[in-house]
Amino acid sequence: MAAATLTSKRFTAQDEADAIEQAFAKGWSDGLPVVPPTEARVRAMLDAARLEPGHQVAFIRDRAVAVTAEKVAINAVMAGCRPEYMPVVVAAVEAIGDPRWSYHGPGTSTGGAGVLMIVNGPVARELDINGSDNLFGPGWRANLTIGRAVRLVMRNVCGSLPGLLDRGTLGHPGKLSYVIAENEAESPWTPLHVERGLRPEQSAVTVIASDAPHQFYNQLSPDAEGILTTLADDMRISGTVMGQSTYVVVLAGEHMRTIAASGWDKKRIRQFLFEKTHNSYAHLKRTHRMSGEIASGDEQKMRPLVASPDDILVVAAGGRAGAFSCYIPGWGSAKSSQAVTKEVKR
Amino acid sequence: MIEILDPTTEAAAAQSIAWAPRPTALQGKRVALIQNTKFNSDQLLRRIGDILKAEYGVAEWKMYDKHNASVPAHAEIIEEIKKSADVMVAGIGD
Repeated sequence: MAAATLTSKRFTAQDEADAIEQAFAKGWSDGLPVVPPTEARVRAMLDAARLEPGHQVAFIRDRAVAVTAEKVAINAVMAGCRPEYMPVVVAAVEAIGDPRWSYHGPGTSTGGAGVLMIVNGPVARELDINGSDNLFGPGWRANLTIGRAVRLVMRNVCGSLPGLLDRGTLGHPGKLSYVIAENEAESPWTPLHVERGLRPEQSAVTVIASDAPHQFYNQLSPDAEGILTTLADDMRISGTVMGQSTYVVVLAGEHMRTIAASGWDKKRIRQFLFEKTHNSYAHLKRTHRMSGEIASGDEQKMRPLVASPDDILVVAAGGRAGAFSCYIPGWGSAKSSQAVTKEVKR
Repeated sequence: MIEILDPTTEAAAAQSIAWAPRPTALQGKRVALIQNTKFNSDQLLRRIGDILKAEYGVAEWKMYDKHNASVPAHAEIIEEIKKSADVMVAGIGD
């Protein structure tokens, strides 16, 4: 396979160290050293995903850019991926090219979104994609290089160069890599990809344009309602507040077990959080998040943080010990950029 | 010596962007203002439209709203603008 010619322009370097410096000088790097993309390494990536170099992985409509497997492979090599990670990178690039994700916004916006990628199914375990201790890093090659590869594709192929077409005001560390696996082995709940229409034995990646994770703490509650009351109180004023974005709620070991012991499933968690994160119009106006003067009835008139309970994605992941979990506000609004799930094809 | 491959998008040799011809003056032109619907973006563009009229002699301006700030202008308003305007101003209201 992959005997077709690689058509990318070639540069000569004296050695690996020179190639790394050239990558910095040519503006190909995210700020960290890259693995030099030699033909042999790039071909190994393509072979692992069984893709021809000219295969179009995604078409970014708003930039009129076709993202080919060859370019994805080159950037995956540079990111430090092992060849067997390539199908996950490809699925994630397909997802950010999906019109529902709407690249134009999260690829550019001052809001500074990262691409949160949640990996489900057998591939997560086979590639040792971390879903447990130190969930958001550091420590796992797959987590750090898969996300880095996607961000390098955004930079080098789609034109999302920081300061030019990536205009994030603050950005966040997740823009380097933002990959987690759901801890399906210990989770008592339906995995995310199954909730989103795939079978348990399929592998999938779900991408969400996201802010940084917000950790919350509750060491007191012996039941679901207590823990989720704390979470809702933390979430209520977060993200853009008015935008009604997607949210991801990541429940780690202790909280996961306590909530499950109360008999709550993901649907009930979503419903509870939806109901308990409303804000009054009066509060939103008083705190200058909603325009206009406070009118009669505004103390009682409520606005939900998300448009629907289904806009809260619940994921079981994180270390076994510690009374911490987190929530992640999505970028902008759910109507501007939706979570997209793609099967990892191997 | 080693050889490395370019990770960036390389424009095809024959590919070029056909820019619309630029007007040499704004006198008598019809202006389309595309607002992204962010708070105050309409006020900013209205002010720009008025300045273009008062100081540059444009014939008229008309404002068009995108569906929301995060998406490109939709086909309907682009078609409308192509028919009814000579120049356009697109801006954001951050």
